[in-house]
Amino acid sequence: MASHGAGAADGSDAPHAEVVSMGQTNPSPYPLSSSHHSWSSATGSATVSWNNTVDKLSQDTVYYDPQRDVSVSGGNHNVGSSAPLVAQSSMGMTDAAHSHVPYSSSAQHVYNPVEYANYYYSYPQATNDSSVQQGANQHPGAAYQPLTSFQNSGSYIDPTSNTYYNAGGHQTVPGYGSSSYYYQNNTWNGGSTGNNFAQSYQNYSSSDTNAQQSSTSVPANSLPYQQQYNQWPYYYNQSVPSASSNPVAGNSTTDNLAVNTPSGYSYPSSQPPPPGTTSWKSNSVASAAPPMQVPGHQNQYANQAEGHYNQGPSVQWSQNHYAYQTQPYPQKTNSNHPQLSNPEDQQKTVDSNGPSTNLSSNHVSENFKPNLQGSVTMDNSSESKIQVPINPRIAPGFSMVMPKNEKKNSGLDLSKKPAYVSVSMPTNDAKATQVGPDARSIPFSLRNYATRNLNRCKNDAQRAACRSIMEEITKKAFAEGTLLTKNWDTEPLFPLPESVVGMTGTSSVNNLSPFSSVSTPRKRVKSRWEPVVDENVTNKVEQIAKGLISSNIHSTLDPKNRMGSSWDHGKFLQSREALSNKVNQRPAKKQKMGSNLSQIQNGSASSDSEKEHDLTTYYASATALANSPEEKKRREHRSKRFEKSKDSSLKSKNTSANSDALASLRLRRAISSLRTRTYEEGTLAVEDMNWDALTIKGTCQEIEKGYLRLTGAPEPAKVRPEDVLEKALAMVETSQKNYLYKCDQLKSIRQDLTVQRIQNELTVKVYETHARLAMQAGDLPEFNQCQSQLKRLYAQGIKGCYFEFSAYNLLCVMLHSNNKRDLLSSMASLSKEAKQDAAVKHALAVHASVLSGNYVLFFKLYKKAPNLNSCLMDLYVERMRFEAMKCMSRSYRPTVPVGYVAQILGFLRTDTEGCATNEDDGLEECEKWLKAHGAVLSEDNSGELQIDMKASSSTLYMPEPEDAVAHGDASLAVDDFLARTDGHVKRPGEQRKQTSTLAVGTVSCTLPAWPNVAAAGTRAGGGTTTSANAPTQTSYCLSRHPRPGETPRLHAAAVGDSRLRLRRHCLVLAPIQVTSNLKSAISCCWVIDTLNVEHKWLEEDTTAATMSTMKFCCECNNILYPKEDRDRRTLFFACRNCEHQEVSDNNCVYRNEVHHTAGERTRVLQDVASDPTLPRTKTVRCTVCGHGEAVFFQYLSYMLRPASISLT
Amino acid sequence: MAAYLSMGEAHRRIGDYLSRVTNAISYSDGAALASLLSVSSAPASTPLSDALAAFPDFPRLAGDRFPHLADFLVPLLRAIHSHSIQRFADAYSSFEKASNAFLQEFRNWETPWAMEAMHTVALEIRLIAEKADRELATNGKNPDKLQAAGSFLMKVFGTLAVKGPKRIGALYVSCQLFKIYFRLGTVNLCRSVIRSIETARNFDFEDFPVKDKVTYMYYTGRLEVFNENFLVADQKLTYALMHCNPQSQSNLRRILKFLIPVKLSIGVLPKRTLLERYNLLEYADVVTALKRGDLRLLRQALDKHEDQFLKSGVYLVLEKLELKVYQRLVKKIHIIQRQKEPAKAHQIKLDVVVRALKWLEIDMDVDEVECIMACLIYKNLIKGYFAHKSKVLVLSKQDPFPKLNGKPV
Repeated sequence: MASHGAGAADGSDAPHAEVVSMGQTNPSPYPLSSSHHSWSSATGSATVSWNNTVDKLSQDTVYYDPQRDVSVSGGNHNVGSSAPLVAQSSMGMTDAAHSHVPYSSSAQHVYNPVEYANYYYSYPQATNDSSVQQGANQHPGAAYQPLTSFQNSGSYIDPTSNTYYNAGGHQTVPGYGSSSYYYQNNTWNGGSTGNNFAQSYQNYSSSDTNAQQSSTSVPANSLPYQQQYNQWPYYYNQSVPSASSNPVAGNSTTDNLAVNTPSGYSYPSSQPPPPGTTSWKSNSVASAAPPMQVPGHQNQYANQAEGHYNQGPSVQWSQNHYAYQTQPYPQKTNSNHPQLSNPEDQQKTVDSNGPSTNLSSNHVSENFKPNLQGSVTMDNSSESKIQVPINPRIAPGFSMVMPKNEKKNSGLDLSKKPAYVSVSMPTNDAKATQVGPDARSIPFSLRNYATRNLNRCKNDAQRAACRSIMEEITKKAFAEGTLLTKNWDTEPLFPLPESVVGMTGTSSVNNLSPFSSVSTPRKRVKSRWEPVVDENVTNKVEQIAKGLISSNIHSTLDPKNRMGSSWDHGKFLQSREALSNKVNQRPAKKQKMGSNLSQIQNGSASSDSEKEHDLTTYYASATALANSPEEKKRREHRSKRFEKSKDSSLKSKNTSANSDALASLRLRRAISSLRTRTYEEGTLAVEDMNWDALTIKGTCQEIEKGYLRLTGAPEPAKVRPEDVLEKALAMVETSQKNYLYKCDQLKSIRQDLTVQRIQNELTVKVYETHARLAMQAGDLPEFNQCQSQLKRLYAQGIKGCYFEFSAYNLLCVMLHSNNKRDLLSSMASLSKEAKQDAAVKHALAVHASVLSGNYVLFFKLYKKAPNLNSCLMDLYVERMRFEAMKCMSRSYRPTVPVGYVAQILGFLRTDTEGCATNEDDGLEECEKWLKAHGAVLSEDNSGELQIDMKASSSTLYMPEPEDAVAHGDASLAVDDFLARTDGHVKRPGEQRKQTSTLAVGTVSCTLPAWPNVAAAGTRAGGGTTTSANAPTQTSYCLSRHPRPGETPRLHAAAVGDSRLRLRRHCLVLAPIQVTSNLKSAISCCWVIDTLNVEHKWLEEDTTAATMSTMKFCCECNNILYPKEDRDRRTLFFACRNCEHQEVSDNNCVYRNEVHHTAGERTRVLQDVASDPTLPRTKTVRCTVCGHGEAVFFQYLSYMLRPASISLT
Repeated sequence: MAAYLSMGEAHRRIGDYLSRVTNAISYSDGAALASLLSVSSAPASTPLSDALAAFPDFPRLAGDRFPHLADFLVPLLRAIHSHSIQRFADAYSSFEKASNAFLQEFRNWETPWAMEAMHTVALEIRLIAEKADRELATNGKNPDKLQAAGSFLMKVFGTLAVKGPKRIGALYVSCQLFKIYFRLGTVNLCRSVIRSIETARNFDFEDFPVKDKVTYMYYTGRLEVFNENFLVADQKLTYALMHCNPQSQSNLRRILKFLIPVKLSIGVLPKRTLLERYNLLEYADVVTALKRGDLRLLRQALDKHEDQFLKSGVYLVLEKLELKVYQRLVKKIHIIQRQKEPAKAHQIKLDVVVRALKWLEIDMDVDEVECIMACLIYKNLIKGYFAHKSKVLVLSKQDPFPKLNGKPV
């Protein structure tokens, strides 16, 4: 905190400009002039004020610990600042430990040159403060700290922060980002999430870049200041949402702006109508005094405003979104306009770029308002705490994306930046002060009117629309001079807008800034039943063009858009540099600026290539030129707008036409940047990608190439052209290596084909080859992939082995997917010729045999399967055999010779070879198989092996497959997979394990007559399962021992051990039986929901036949634990104390009955839905809102909920 | 009728239409609004469509006259116009826009006065989407309009399927959704709709309008046929049949088309007169085959109407009847044998069955027939056992051919 105080006072602006800012990280000199802005909350009481400190001149080395200092800084202010300031500062001090000197807004700031210095000084704090604010918030609890840490890292992304950085105040930036984030959380419900993400994002965003920037940004010019200021507004914007509660707050912010712009003027005096004041006052108790500005600051402020404008687009965006919630906006905006415009005029002389600034002004004003409110409301802080944890989670995903996006914006930003630079000159605009109705000037009745209107709104969109209409009305009233005279209380409510379209259209259009248009396009979709404003039609056209750009830049999702705003800022540096280099408009500052910026840019470590840099500069200059003529028009237009809104709209059309040129430029730029970046941005919506542009022609000549998932844009040098791919395919076909190698090769071929968008017979051939190989290796997933691709390719009319594969398809559907509808549709889609094809006929015959259970026919067909049909049938053989055995054991009596079974069930390959040795082999195999499945064999008089059908009927079972894997997906078992692919096909059941089969099934445990049940008392009981390959473990702890017939309450379950163990100190809820099959992938998190699982305690005698009971050692009376003897395939119960062992009479150890299916547990979780890193699907529909997209994630609360799907 | 229309007349007609729409809205006249919104059911040439053709500047007219309704009226007029000049894809996109605007507004109306209009919109959007898809398909474009209509209707459904008076209209929309999903073959999407209809505790299913209930039951019954839940399917389809308006023959026929196979598979055979009355003679042979145990006839019938059965989705159900035909055959043999030599009535030689099948020109070897017998026993169609050594099927003395009694095979 003390550090703040240390800052030296810097009176004039000029020095600021020259000052070099250092990175925060350096303890060394900090920017001299740090102005401290604290926004004290309305009432001095507990509210936390925000300190925004901008670090400037290095002379005053303020080492700034954002978190620490807050209170101290306040102290500093008091000292350095003039009386008014002092008062404020004191306020801040008193308020909270983290008090800040109130920024101009609430408390009046008289900015004297001297004070100015203080200001600056204070600024650094302020920036820090942003962090500080958080810190302040944090003070109460540690929870906040994460945020603070973020702050330090500095967010590149944060628009404000970026600009700030340039200025040299790195520290502030992060703080800002975080702070804003923070605020947003507080203020915005629902809609705000997007913002949060973006911001949090920012926080996360690479700290490296920031650091670099800080180091590089040695020469800090006035610009940075301005930017800082800009940041403020941005900040405010974010805070806006809270505004809804306090309409007044918004006004106060505007006031600040106003104050800033008029240099040296004391606001109150200069401005005639202080309508806003009332609101103001209410908010800021302490700041009754009229806001004064320090002359030196004025410039800066102006700059800020401009800078803000530049940044504006992004900000506006956010505002728009937010806007819906906040009511007060319209009024505020109006007031701001006039003021803003004035500064712009001043700037004209200096800047060619002016237009952009003008445009942005409206937006800015809006932004400001919200900010104040945000600061004002204390509530936010507490709320933020809660949300904090969420953001970090989400943020990481975004962080990756952000830096890249920044680049895109650069082109757009360029034009605007120069304006700031020029602005730094001290401008004296009396007009500005006079013209603007500030927030204060808005009468109370008007505010009431606004709230009345807004209260009718049913949703955010409407509110936003309403807001814009209010804006118009106030504007008009102001222009007519009736703002104060009109009786707002009796004014009729305007018709309720139906949707946003109109409003966004009007507000943004009026502004004419390209950016503003950018912000609008998305929301425009909705309908609006309110009267149409004429301008819309033509404007929309323009907006569409802009919308195009915007859509390219900002992905369609809201959160992303918000992120987009931050990117814009990120690009500032570049654009500025470009301008400074190319346009020699401000020679004095240019040099420093240029060097500064270039350094920054270099330091930024972002991947901007030289080329891109050139491009940006080019566009920047182009846009700058294009802007200048427009600028004037717009200004005219603006001035007239207040007289006649309709006229203005007409003019806006004209200007918009001009701006089309701009738009096209930007479009091109956007596309080019898109091309280079789409790949890297995982989150960019697929629809936005221009795939044609991504198609490449490969040049790689290597025939052999392994598969590697693409993580970036494909490089032509690493992609093989078609002729090489053909060779590669031939190589794979003739290769002697195993399937894994071939699969890898084929996948890389497929990748190369896809990347080059080659879809011809070669493609078909590759997929066919791969599908066949996959079939042979039993790699069903891979086969399915190929199959679906082939279906598509065939549908395009590309020739291939269509019949063969339609047969495969049929088999696959009927044997493996078991989806009747699919089967029907694929059967229905067969053509007449297809049905004549041998393979298809065969497949249909197989279908018939499966349907009627005709196993004899099935195995006959199996033997004479054409093509690779047998491979697919292979995968079904086991099941078919088992079914057949079950059927036979039920229907045959008394015995059936093994030989016959072997023949029927296809163990004998008589058809192909027919020699005796083979037959013996087959017999032996059959015998093994039968034994493995629990059939009871016996020899009859003649020595022929017979199956005792009656005995077998009760003992038959499906052994747990050898290759069972945790996920129920055999292809995940690496060992076995390798073995299979090398040709050693292990038949499941070759080696049978003596264990219970495990499955998602039922838990039902018998409660045996325990000898020591009585003693159990409060002993904890734990039930476990044993299973050789059990994918999961479940163990329970019972709060107390259950009584017979009672359902125990289960307390805990553990998941995920592949081997189930019994715990020593738990009473085992034996006998545990696990039956049924591992079904879905969900089984890997085979979770027992304690709430939903019914645990049945069965009487011992009812289940004694099928379940073993808990056993106790006959010698030492300890519990016996299951123990398996793998070689003999028997299950024992062994004592762990002594040597005692006994053979179990039943293999069933555990049964788990899950009575719900995971698919039905549907929840709607807002925040998860916006996480871009989660896999998404469009195959389900939300039952609540009908939204068509959902994300997958595993829901972990209590650890026990199964994976669930959340719908967005 | 391309009669010449003066500008003024066209202007008047359009204005008239617009004012009728706006009046309907302002007077909350749902029926009137509904009739005004039926775009696709209007004849190709109406006074309005002619007027629209003659007065191409109609969007501006609508926008100027009723600016607050412009979002709804302008695309609506466009849709009517495009539809009348047979440009269905355009008509669809315009109509969807109008529908969205309408839905938006509909949400804000607290009473369900516009339910009829909403239903008209739901129906129209489906019909236009179907036409649009046909048009797109013939132009070689991707026909995705019906899908879009589906997602729009889902939105509508979401709006209606809430507590409150609007819920009563939800079933109609869900039926439209079913129609779309069945047409698109994405029946799995029906599930969410069904769930929200059937799990609702605050609204009794019986409170929905009868016509919607019948339609709903028909579609859900069909779904159960796909899932081979014959008992539930029987229940639902029977409900639909009982409540269906007896005058609407085609609807009855549709229901029977699925109900008959379901009934067949649970062992209930229809009378021939029924089949004749509803022109469902494709099932006649199947029924005869079941009665006679004539496997050949069954296969022929399936073969003959394969396309039809596949299309309607009952093919697999009918195919499964094969086992029952076998059972019938064995039963007949059993009856004959009992008359011939009552002592051995319960022992049927496999040989006999094989010969019978031969006579039916079914080419099966002994093993296969034996397998079929085993299956019959296994599936409880025959009580008894098979002696492999002597190749004899031994029937149980009592009730060797148990009746299904509603149990599916």
